[in-house]
Amino acid sequence: MDPLIATALDTARQRGAEYADIRLVSNREQRIVVRNGVVETMTADESVGLGIRALYNGAWGFASTRELTSAAADQAAGQAVQIARASASQNGAGMTSEQLLGAPVTGRGSYATPIGIDPFTVSLDDKLALLLAADSEMAAVPQVSARMDNLVFIREERTFANTEGAHVSQTIYEAGGGVQATAVGNGETQRRSYPQSHGRQQGCAGWEYVVAMDLPGNARRTAEEAAELLTAEPCPTDIATDLIIDSSQLALQIHESCGHAVELDRALGDEAAFAGTSFLTPDLLHNFQYGSEHVNITADSTDATGLGTFGWDDEGLPAQSTDNIRDGQFVGYLMSRESATRLGLSSNGCMRASSWNRIPLIRMTNVSLQPGAWTLDDLIADTDDGIYLETNRSWSIDDRRYNFQFGTEIGREIKSGKLGRLLRNCTYTGITPEFWRSCDAVCGPEYRQLWATPRCGKGQPGQIAHTSHGASPTRFRNVRVGVMR
Amino acid sequence: MLGPEHIGSLLRDALRNRHLGDADIYLTATTQALTRFANNRIHQNVYHDDAVAHVRVAYQKRQGRAVTNNLSPDGLRSAVLQAREHASLMPEDPDFPGLPSASQSASVHAYDEATASTGPEHRAAVVGMVCRKAADAGLEAAGFYRTGVTELAVFSSRGPRYCYHAGTFAGLLITARSDDSAGWAKGGGWRIDAFEPEALADEAIDKAVRGRNPQSLESGEYPVVLEHYAVDDMLEALSFYGMGAHMVQDGRSWMNDVIDQPAMSPLVSIWDDGLAPSGWPVPFDAEGVPRQRVNIVTDGVVQGPVHNSYTAAKAGVASTGHQRGATGGPTATNLFMRPGDRTTDQLIASVDRGLYITRFYYTRLAHNRGCVMTGMTRDGTFLIENGEITTPVKNLRFTQSYVDALAGCQALSNTAHLNLNEAGVAMHVPAALLENWRFTGQTV
Repeated sequence: MDPLIATALDTARQRGAEYADIRLVSNREQRIVVRNGVVETMTADESVGLGIRALYNGAWGFASTRELTSAAADQAAGQAVQIARASASQNGAGMTSEQLLGAPVTGRGSYATPIGIDPFTVSLDDKLALLLAADSEMAAVPQVSARMDNLVFIREERTFANTEGAHVSQTIYEAGGGVQATAVGNGETQRRSYPQSHGRQQGCAGWEYVVAMDLPGNARRTAEEAAELLTAEPCPTDIATDLIIDSSQLALQIHESCGHAVELDRALGDEAAFAGTSFLTPDLLHNFQYGSEHVNITADSTDATGLGTFGWDDEGLPAQSTDNIRDGQFVGYLMSRESATRLGLSSNGCMRASSWNRIPLIRMTNVSLQPGAWTLDDLIADTDDGIYLETNRSWSIDDRRYNFQFGTEIGREIKSGKLGRLLRNCTYTGITPEFWRSCDAVCGPEYRQLWATPRCGKGQPGQIAHTSHGASPTRFRNVRVGVMR
Repeated sequence: MLGPEHIGSLLRDALRNRHLGDADIYLTATTQALTRFANNRIHQNVYHDDAVAHVRVAYQKRQGRAVTNNLSPDGLRSAVLQAREHASLMPEDPDFPGLPSASQSASVHAYDEATASTGPEHRAAVVGMVCRKAADAGLEAAGFYRTGVTELAVFSSRGPRYCYHAGTFAGLLITARSDDSAGWAKGGGWRIDAFEPEALADEAIDKAVRGRNPQSLESGEYPVVLEHYAVDDMLEALSFYGMGAHMVQDGRSWMNDVIDQPAMSPLVSIWDDGLAPSGWPVPFDAEGVPRQRVNIVTDGVVQGPVHNSYTAAKAGVASTGHQRGATGGPTATNLFMRPGDRTTDQLIASVDRGLYITRFYYTRLAHNRGCVMTGMTRDGTFLIENGEITTPVKNLRFTQSYVDALAGCQALSNTAHLNLNEAGVAMHVPAALLENWRFTGQTV
């Protein structure tokens, strides 16, 4: 064991901690942004530090430092225990660490993201050439007033150890990229993105992941669609109709209305002041029809290229796959050791910290809708009157994850089983369980894509998590659309 | 704290290379301690510090960047060389004006020793008081109490010039909850005595008690009285979706087509002032340019956006000192809205049938023209009938142009409150009476 880790854990124990864990993190990130033909950002970020959690009389303390010296680690360990003691002073009688955390976690080993080409070995010239080629394709469309494309590469080395004997090391790679075109005209502003919105698509992968996106090959079409939307028909106003939702928009729908709703810390009230709670309270576990029988949702931290894929979570639990919704029934939460123990369960390894100076929280891994058996052509042909929606533009949901409203970049009318006119400013809204119970068809595995949500906010101080969601195009009946102004 | 001398010495040494050309370093150092509570107990309690140097090297019409939290001489030197390499690889940007010229920064006092030295025992005691008050009222309290110090510094090889600012921050956020209601209160500023914890606890608890047994309300348009928390959300959205000049220059701002137009009520005046001690002052931006007071909306007429050196050069004007971070566009983060002449009770009294709203939640841009936002009400929504608050109401979804809503501003309260968020964005705003707000759905 690294002497620095051993020293810090020893110090925490000597100061009275019943349990302590430590994470050493070294993060390297490269980001290149081209905006309107100009390289706006080309940066190399480096962040290194360690964070220590300590448990004293059933209460937590956490301290961190960017200095990787034994003296600094020792000081942070002492500070974590001091803070835990302050917490305990107000909390009353506490539980033992075993009562609070359940069975000890003692995993050991190492893990690295499987990659083809290390993105940090690819020259900046090659990366810039790719972005500038995509930008020039978008620039060929005259109505486009703003163009943006970007690449992001991350390599993070993490070591976790605890006073129970766990010691694991991981090297996680991420690679991402995307293009975005904004067109202005006819008193309108319209945006199209590729492969998805929110800046980029991203995965735990190497350079090959970005090459496969073919940003230059898709940039012109993306810009042309933005221009075409300026004169498209507006989404029908405030009607109920059938929706076929493409996999990228559905990924965010899963994220907001299922992924967050099955976080056990929310259900137990731990996030009540900020992110909110959840309508999926513990009394509903195995006792609530969340969706139709076509709805099967799974959290899987072993899903290849997912941003929630790793070897161990930040409490040392191994990567695993567990069901959240099975045949429409609510059957499982995303859990930590502490929250799982409160329900008499065991953690399914969902504790993740965004940085060395943040505590782990319950976060989504790769929460995905399992594919059905439909082809997209058959699904459209089977729909008399509806809208096909693609690519998220706006998103909002209430603090218990009931009432949501999403907007998409683009819609296409479906009439008599055929795709028709382009539609702009599409929105849809609903109540989560009513919406998922209206799901009557899911396309097959050949349509499944694993989409990134690389900016999921939670916690105070704030943390940004990287998660992914697999989905195929899916149909929902009788959904309210067209709420704009 | 690192202190002005130590930071100055580090940055000066890092840029000592005579062959480097123009360069600057923006350094941010933050220590923050945050005691978080839920279910009437402390469940998270953290301390962190970090110091990050953002290095920028300009080479002809090119600029390169690197970022590091390794402040050793080797770490900083390595970042400088990396930024220099990046600059050399860049294609030329014909609009890049070079690094800003040397200028004298204003200074503003926003450091409070009592806030900086607050320890975990004090924070825990305050949180304990809040939790006991909530428990006594039969409620569950959740929230946080945070304190800390932020140091900002810019050292530029042009001049040479060095700006340094140290500011403290404190915030107490409380949600009080019952099975079917919630109340909210939040105080913040650069001093821990900028707010009264007991008063904030009482405010949140009162809302949660009065909010029990909420009724459903039909969607539709209603006049609204917005508490300053909700007005804060409006200004944040108007800032992030359109007060930066880069958005105007791209055609993506709500300001496009309405600059110099009376787009809002004559009662509405909004300005950004990074030097006002009643806000959360920051006297210079990430380029080391002094913050200028900028009028955004005056008597309802839209004036224009805030600038950094890049957008200013494109527009042929001077930078207003609003480059918020090392990258990204200029942002208005110290906004003020002119108060009116009514008390909040008078605002309520002038509504026949409408809604009283504590705050908004999860608000997102639905369309940039007019800054159309969708979001939810949260933590205290009440029906106003015949000039009085009568009935708690279940939370409602809205889809509303914030520009149009402020066009219908009928009155503002005569007091304004500072709303300081966790990202350092400060809005000093009154409560508002708005003629119409479009509610488009209800929650369960």
